[in-house]
Amino acid sequence: MSNLFSHARRVAGRAMAGAAALAIAGVAVPAAAQETIKVGVLHSLSGTMAISETTLKDTVLFMVDQQNAAGGVLGKKLVPVVVDPASNWPLFAEKARELLAKEKVAVVFGCWTSVSRKSVLPVFKELNGILFYPVQYEGEESERNVFYTGAAPNQQAIPAVDYLMENEGVKRWVLAGTDYVYPRTTNKILEAYLKSKGVAAEDIMINYTPFGHSDWQTIVADIKKFGSAGKKTAVVSTINGDANVPFYKELGNQGIKATDIPVVAFSVGEEELAGIDTKPLVGHLAAWNYFQSVDVPENADFIKKWRGYIKNDKRVTNDPMEATVIGFNMWVKAVEKAGTTDPDKVIPALIGVSVPNLTGGFSTMMPNHHITKPVLIGEIKDDGQFDVVEKTPGLIVAEEWSPYLEGSKDLIADWRSPMNCGNFNVKTGKCGAQ
Amino acid sequence: MISRGLPSRLGCVLLLALGLIAGALLLPRAAVAQGAAPDISTPLAQLTTDKYDDTEAALGALALSGSPAAAGIVAALADGRLMYSPATRQVLIKTPQGGLVDAATGQPVAEAPPGAKAVRVNNRIRRAIEAASGTLALVNPDPAKRLEAASAVMRARDEAALPALDAALAKEADAKVKSALTLARASILIGKAGVPDADRIAAIATVGEQGNQDALAVLRSVPADASPAVKAAAQDAIAGIERSLAIWSVGQNIWYGVSLGSVLLLAAIGLAITFGVMGVINMAHGEMVMLGAYVTFVVQELIRTYNPALFDLSLLIAIPVAFLFTGLIGVLIERTVIRFLYGRALETLLATWGISLILQQAIRTAFGPTNREVGAPGWMSGAFELGQLSITYGRLWIIVFAMFVFVALLATLRLTRIGLEMRAVTQNRRMAASMGIRTNWVDAMTFGLGSGIAGIAGVALSQIDNVSPNLGQSYIIDSFLVVVFGGVGNLWGTLVGAMSLGIANKMLEPYAGAVLGKIALLVIVILFIQKRPRGLFALKGRAIES
Amino acid sequence: MSNALTPQPVLLGKSGLVFLAVVLGAAVLVPALNLLTSPDSALHVPTYVVSLLGKYLTYALLALSVDLIWGYVGILSLGHGAFFALGGYAMGMYLMRQIGPRGVYGDPVLPDFMVFLNWKELPWFWHGFDMFPFAALMVLLAPGILALVFGWFAFRSRVTGVYLSIITQAMTFALLLAFFRNDMGFGGNNGLTDFKDILGFNIQADGTRLVLFVLSALALALGYVLCRFLVRSHFGKVLIAIRDAETRVRFTGYRAENYKVVAFVVSAMLAGIAGALYVPQVGIINPGEFSPANSIEIIVWVAVGGRGTLVGAALGAVLVNYAKTYFTSGLLAPYWLFMLGGLFVAVTLFLPKGIVGTFYDWRRARAPAPEDLAPDDLAPPDKLPEPKPAE
Repeated sequence: MSNLFSHARRVAGRAMAGAAALAIAGVAVPAAAQETIKVGVLHSLSGTMAISETTLKDTVLFMVDQQNAAGGVLGKKLVPVVVDPASNWPLFAEKARELLAKEKVAVVFGCWTSVSRKSVLPVFKELNGILFYPVQYEGEESERNVFYTGAAPNQQAIPAVDYLMENEGVKRWVLAGTDYVYPRTTNKILEAYLKSKGVAAEDIMINYTPFGHSDWQTIVADIKKFGSAGKKTAVVSTINGDANVPFYKELGNQGIKATDIPVVAFSVGEEELAGIDTKPLVGHLAAWNYFQSVDVPENADFIKKWRGYIKNDKRVTNDPMEATVIGFNMWVKAVEKAGTTDPDKVIPALIGVSVPNLTGGFSTMMPNHHITKPVLIGEIKDDGQFDVVEKTPGLIVAEEWSPYLEGSKDLIADWRSPMNCGNFNVKTGKCGAQ
Repeated sequence: MISRGLPSRLGCVLLLALGLIAGALLLPRAAVAQGAAPDISTPLAQLTTDKYDDTEAALGALALSGSPAAAGIVAALADGRLMYSPATRQVLIKTPQGGLVDAATGQPVAEAPPGAKAVRVNNRIRRAIEAASGTLALVNPDPAKRLEAASAVMRARDEAALPALDAALAKEADAKVKSALTLARASILIGKAGVPDADRIAAIATVGEQGNQDALAVLRSVPADASPAVKAAAQDAIAGIERSLAIWSVGQNIWYGVSLGSVLLLAAIGLAITFGVMGVINMAHGEMVMLGAYVTFVVQELIRTYNPALFDLSLLIAIPVAFLFTGLIGVLIERTVIRFLYGRALETLLATWGISLILQQAIRTAFGPTNREVGAPGWMSGAFELGQLSITYGRLWIIVFAMFVFVALLATLRLTRIGLEMRAVTQNRRMAASMGIRTNWVDAMTFGLGSGIAGIAGVALSQIDNVSPNLGQSYIIDSFLVVVFGGVGNLWGTLVGAMSLGIANKMLEPYAGAVLGKIALLVIVILFIQKRPRGLFALKGRAIES
Repeated sequence: MSNALTPQPVLLGKSGLVFLAVVLGAAVLVPALNLLTSPDSALHVPTYVVSLLGKYLTYALLALSVDLIWGYVGILSLGHGAFFALGGYAMGMYLMRQIGPRGVYGDPVLPDFMVFLNWKELPWFWHGFDMFPFAALMVLLAPGILALVFGWFAFRSRVTGVYLSIITQAMTFALLLAFFRNDMGFGGNNGLTDFKDILGFNIQADGTRLVLFVLSALALALGYVLCRFLVRSHFGKVLIAIRDAETRVRFTGYRAENYKVVAFVVSAMLAGIAGALYVPQVGIINPGEFSPANSIEIIVWVAVGGRGTLVGAALGAVLVNYAKTYFTSGLLAPYWLFMLGGLFVAVTLFLPKGIVGTFYDWRRARAPAPEDLAPDDLAPPDKLPEPKPAE
């Protein structure tokens, strides 16, 4: 434990040095401002979401570092501006305003939860900023100022269900999620999809739990019971970060193995597994657009450089990191295409930009401000990594408005002129909000 | 039921099982008689295509081939030791000793061809292997293995296993294994086409006697074209099981409740000292629990690095270390901050809140914000059945541990000198001081004791929850609720409070759902406090007027 | 209690006048500096600072409401964030209804989150919120009624001290869980957001922001005068007596619980108003506001500024939140929790009466202070009773 102390001391020392540096920097910065481009990083470094978001902050810093080493953008050096919205949603809005209005950043990489994105949306619209949002989410949104590099439900959930139906012969489904918008929407979409595939209502069990739910005894027992009806059963889990560890621990304890009732999760990646003993979980699944174990040179190269940067040769990579990387590269390319960082020029320039992803292909920014992605299904291995058991043959275009939802089935998004609309209603022929 | 959905797949499993039995039981002799090994080049080639369908087909063909090499190849596949080279189309077996053997020839290979990869296994392949090796193990000389195999066969319910089952039943001497085999056989008969009604009804009776979830699943698999008599028998059996399960489920819920209650007790009992006995509104209590969990992590890491053999004892080692470490931190906090705040209870809230922020961030800086892996020792994993109650070892040990901590704490306060001094100081500080008790020292020890107890709670909680900087936050509200509900300053109150909240929560959950159940519980506690404004076990006498 | 008989109780006192001057001065100066100076000028106050200051002012009003019951009645509410959030939700519901057909789905009545969860009609409790007067009434009534019911039960049963604190915490925790539920009809975790306009004015326009800022300043000033009036009145003397010796007050024939309920309800309504002003300025209200940690933070603001001083509570809220804004940016971002935590510990150890309380002490030590400057009778006792014995 002495290690901890010495570290804490070092940290405190660094903090003090930092404070001094800040005092000096406060005077010195304006002079150098001409030659640089500021890049905002809006990820929680403390509070409940720090667990997921800190890595993404490091990823952006890593990308900025790489880009500066390669000569910067438009011949200017990139300067990251890091703020900590502390997992507090109104603070996200305040910090977004600070980044755009005070720091005048050219672009912001940030947010994880939907509520944080919803909280900063009005700010980005009002101050005409650019936000790259790197996490899989429920869809049902397309905004001019936001670029979504994570998966929409059809780029993650539906292929996963298809895989279970075809390969495991699953006939009975438990949709278990944390009670918030992403699981609610995803489960609504999946329910409609499963019914369209002929699954009866009594073969679908839907269960919601609060955030951070830690006592899973009853629910896991219910799942076990539901699974003993004589039909092959699977669990589709949209359980949010913190609650996953106790959930998987309980699954392991109650002896539910992947060969009996497989669990496919949409929010469990390499980072989350790093906190669990995965031996009892071997064979449970996850659906993502990237896995660390993808065996292509681009990925190997990325992992090597990333580990070099972070100075930890055990550090894992995950899907939202890849989405951040893709978003960053797209922005760089669009700025170079537009010749300026002016959002009014960069936003249209981003559409159609294509950059290599880390799974050996290319991802393209579509007119709906979402990107094309391959979908990968992985099975958990005993070393905390995933074994990719299926990859969609082509790239999948995001359905930002789900055709399986009543309210959004007539909506499309296209940010090219002349339509220039995020919620165009094809029935009425009008842009929805007008 | 699985079979009807997936005829082809079942076929493969079936063939594989049959073939492997044949291979294991009969074919060595046959092979010797023929003098030459059968040709297995086609299935081996299929193993090199990296497609699950091909792998499954190859398994089936291998099993049927009767080649003596088949069992070895399947075993290697199960362990992830089967390699292939896409370039040379060669299949290799990695021996457990680390050597390489060519699967086709059985000859050792010096070096893997470039680009050799492991043949991939997914759930589907794993299931096929499992069912087949279950069937194979029916003739294992170890009765425990046979028992395991019988239940594996029952779960798989493979008609193909029937002949093997019959053969095994005829030879079986062990009564336990025999009844398991009978049960497995009955389970298969229920779903099998063309079984006479009488046999089927007898099978239903055999399965029905089990009275558990697995039996229900089997009984529900009676085919739709079965005769009305069979269906009626199945219905009766199902209804009977459901009735008994409903009764058992009350017991199960109580068990869950006791288990949740013991977690609450562990989380709250340290607070019962620092808050309940000393009157410090200790918002940093949750962080003490978290520190305990991180101590467990560090201890396990050290053990993994220096002496992996001790891993099963890691939790036992972590308990005293966590107690001492968090206890020391507690003493440190008491000496530097809390001692200036005695008599200003509400201000301790402010200071300890600050301390909790600092501790959280300290851990985040030192260990990173992500979860840390704390492994479960062997004796804490798994479950056993008690009647129809499914009891997991992890939870059982946590209950035992919580009770142990409670008794130990009670004994410390009641029977030891320091306990006596602690009670004396908290009851009347000045009087205690004039009796020669070093009140400062006792204060520090009391706070240290409460913190240390929180630390060992962290050791237990690391087994069921995230080990992250946020760990403490999720328990602090419940902990305060438990202490207040039970009555501040009374350890028994904390015990009863934790258990009643735990059980009430778990009894409500099946009806109201996890969220509404919790809300209902909070409202109940609020209303309860109106009735008994000093908690369950209120202190009597003049003290309450202060 | 010796000073209770001072000859001339002053309504505001010197510090109160200074406080009002600062708040009202800000209400004039900040908009003026925002509008009249050019953006390059050193004196210019950018709009984002205006919103930030507006937010601090609503926090200050919230802290004031907590100080009224904690500093003067001795009720440590660990659930005051709930009243703030309820006021905020009432305002948020009005703002949601104002969106009308401009939501992403273009539904004329239903808010977006209801459309995409397939709700067919507006739940009953959403009716009426399209009218501002009704919503404004609800801003007061929702927290007020909750406080009335909760307080009536709790104070009549003589639930006091930490027991009361913990059940207020349980109350806000229960509300947190309830509002998280999507089935409740309040937008679940995402809460209410994407507001367009308030009373016909674009909510993002600079002018609207300035008006909201001025309104917040006025609300804070009025809230202060109200609290000051309450604690200086006969009613306030009884409250203080209850704080210091509740049993004795009962024995003298006062119905202590009634006094407490009234103070609690007034305080909850003030918190509700703060919430209602907060929501249009930050643009979102979600269940996070109910979280017990938020309520504890409010207590921390009051303690930092000085419990039982009113001015201190407001000052503490602004200072702590400014510290938070400052520390969460730039190089210090990874370490800000150390600073904040350290600040709390330091304040408790070295400024046990908070900043303003310590200032009063210092003034009094320097020169025998006039009565209005050092409201001795109002300050909480230095020592609370000894901790309770074991068993």
